[in-house]
Amino acid sequence: MNAITFLLGLLGLAYVGSILVGGRAIRGFGLASGAEYLVLGFVLGPQLLSVVGRSLVESFQPVVMVGVSWLGLVLGVSYLQVAEREIPLTRVVLGIVLSAAVSAVVSLTVFFGATYFSALPRLEILALASGAGLVCSETTRHSVRWIVERYGAKGPLADLAADTARASALFAALGLSVLNAWLPGGALPGFSVIARVLVSLALGSVLGLTAALLLGREFRRDESWGILLGTSLLGTGAAARLNLSPLSATFALGLTLAAVSRHRIDIKAMVIPTEQPVILPVVLLAGAYVNVKLPPVMLALVIAALVAKLSARALCGTLLSALSPPARGGGVELGISMLSSGALGLAVALAFCVRHPGQVSDTVLLLAALGVLLGEGLGPSALRRALTRAGEIKVEPSHGSGSTASLEQDNLT
Amino acid sequence: MSARVSGKKTFSTRLIQLFSLSITFGVLYGVTRLTPELESHLGTVAAVGFLLLAGTLMSELLETIGLPHLSGYLLAGIIGGPHVLHLVDHRTVEELSPVNTLALSLIALAGGAELRVSTLRSVARGLAWATLLQSTMVLVCVAGVFMVVAPYLPFARHLALKPQLGVALLWGVLAVSRSPSACMGILSQTRAKGPVATFSLAFIMLSDVVVVILLALMMMLARPLISASGGISIEDFSILGHEILSSIAVGVTLGLGLAIYLRLVGRQLLLVLLAIGFGMSDTFTYIGVDSLLAFLAAGFVVTNLSDQGPKLLHSIEQTGSVVFVVFFATAGAHLDIPLLEQLWPVAVALCASRALFTVVAGRISSRVAEDAPILRRWGWSSLVSQAGLALGLSVVIERAFPSFGAGFRSLAIAAVAINEMIGPILFKFALDRAGETDRHAPEVRPSLVPDVDPSSGM
Repeated sequence: MNAITFLLGLLGLAYVGSILVGGRAIRGFGLASGAEYLVLGFVLGPQLLSVVGRSLVESFQPVVMVGVSWLGLVLGVSYLQVAEREIPLTRVVLGIVLSAAVSAVVSLTVFFGATYFSALPRLEILALASGAGLVCSETTRHSVRWIVERYGAKGPLADLAADTARASALFAALGLSVLNAWLPGGALPGFSVIARVLVSLALGSVLGLTAALLLGREFRRDESWGILLGTSLLGTGAAARLNLSPLSATFALGLTLAAVSRHRIDIKAMVIPTEQPVILPVVLLAGAYVNVKLPPVMLALVIAALVAKLSARALCGTLLSALSPPARGGGVELGISMLSSGALGLAVALAFCVRHPGQVSDTVLLLAALGVLLGEGLGPSALRRALTRAGEIKVEPSHGSGSTASLEQDNLT
Repeated sequence: MSARVSGKKTFSTRLIQLFSLSITFGVLYGVTRLTPELESHLGTVAAVGFLLLAGTLMSELLETIGLPHLSGYLLAGIIGGPHVLHLVDHRTVEELSPVNTLALSLIALAGGAELRVSTLRSVARGLAWATLLQSTMVLVCVAGVFMVVAPYLPFARHLALKPQLGVALLWGVLAVSRSPSACMGILSQTRAKGPVATFSLAFIMLSDVVVVILLALMMMLARPLISASGGISIEDFSILGHEILSSIAVGVTLGLGLAIYLRLVGRQLLLVLLAIGFGMSDTFTYIGVDSLLAFLAAGFVVTNLSDQGPKLLHSIEQTGSVVFVVFFATAGAHLDIPLLEQLWPVAVALCASRALFTVVAGRISSRVAEDAPILRRWGWSSLVSQAGLALGLSVVIERAFPSFGAGFRSLAIAAVAINEMIGPILFKFALDRAGETDRHAPEVRPSLVPDVDPSSGM
């Protein structure tokens, strides 16, 4: 397959994604995490059918980075709010703490496993453990939205799940900036790790402020596209050239815009519909990037990391339902529901692959991909059961007719 | 080709734009100085972002002194390009060629969609005379000037009279090529409506076809003049005929398909245009079809055989508001400033003579065709710009005549650089003076075709 045919295929997929966003009638169908496109990418990719060859996949690296960064921008812009409802600070902190806890458990498991059972050098072990922790830290908000829309869930537990899922993005985005800054081969040799992290975040923030200034008092949609695209591409390219994290830079850009621009609602309304058309090609490319031909010890580490993630999520769910009134009754199933991961985890893994190519990043990407499949298998059904038990869900699927108002609005915008 | 609303901007807005422009330059300047070696394709991403932002901001700032947006895009590219600040290097400029492909396909599609049969009919007489005189008089006169300046050109000074005449004829063809992209860019910014705008658009779009035929004819004539072994071959015309006919046939098919899609589905036009721009351009090249002509025919069919033209134009406008900024800024970055410094005296002489003969030919054709006075005065103004098409012709000539092709192309690049910078300014000035620029700044740029409800059926 040549590059143009592949590009047309990706555009076709983006078209499908845009229909999934725009077509109300079919909303709620397909898998919550987009795992089917991940599998499709893997099947078409160099590991199985080789319809899309390795060199072709690698030649699409800039497209991957742009997609990943755009996802960062969308997450940043929509981070502080679910539709017009602001996420309470406690929920933001809770989401970050839960992500950090799961990430720490997975990282420690991988770190000790790799130290005792692999011959990897210390630096590679640290990179592997950190990368594994980051890709396991996210809970995709699409999983929550999918259940809410399909079953018409409404109530405090649904809101808690939506809020913590959304808040979990910050840990992955910030963590990736630290990991990128810490990895060798950076372009700022005289800078400390913290300084490099600050540079990547400052880059995004400065461009976000610039965009906010340019968008000015009157919001003009056509003009805004040029500004948003220009600043995000400049941020992506500049961060990539400095070997910093483009995803973190654009996340900071989006967050700054959401915080300071008076047009935050309009901006959100503009960029959120672009998320699905961007996610599907990125997920497909992630599937094509996946390499399963790894040494047995690495495969064993992937399995260990998945078990650690499952255990940590179950524990978090149990603790949360014991401590938080809205989560009461959720139990282990609330924790299992947080297993759902999606585009952000894959995006972090892809960004890691670009920054630190090799066996370690291949392992992290495989972990992210299997994490998506595991989350897809267990997460949505667990959330449905938890919400049913909490009395926030109807028994029959509503196909989007009775969704939580805020989430419904969020999807439209 | 921006779809921006150009309402009155305050002084503080301009200050913010200047500040943002300095931030844009500053970010990429800092990054390129910290990482002078580009090891991946990711620099292209930064370059696109930079060209888009800097081009937009520069155009806004130059607007205050009456310059067209297009000049701002070009200037941003020149300053950021490989010859001034080197924020965008040569390799990156080359890697941006898919953006050029996309932009040219959108320009041709939009150009075709702007041409209504009724519009063409209204300017048919003037168009026919202008085409005849601009194609013959300008070609012959500029070729004559080329003969005069040939002793100052390293690649032509040693040639005997006959080969020199052959090269001069080829230069003459180059002189009659125009820039559809510059024309569309200025019309889009100014939202101009009137005889000058209509005539310019129709003439320039049709001149594409004329120039392709002229090039084949002149190459056929020049070959025996330049090389003793060369002869006149009718086969060239047969190939050209096939190419033109197949381009139109493919374009009509594409246009019908597009009209049906717009009528029946009419959604996600951004993605459809991207797929057409990238995918069809590549396919057309593969099957030996002239993509510019094919897209022109497609746009023409959509407008004239359905009522989906406004919808198509609106979508191109939205897509183009980003693509065209990058396209023109890349063109600016592509300008070979050192070469221009080297060849400027001869290039200026050739450009000045081209402009002079274009004005004279325009005045004569308008008088003969009894055009409206405003057209007699300003009808020539859009014909000075040159861009990608002229450079494309120079590449064809370079390949066909390798003995002098490289020098010829260098001179072409220098001349096109001058025309590319001056032409749009002249055209905008003329539209302003002719009173065709829309000063009411409507929300959406009106098309040259009559208004039709975009949501209506075919």
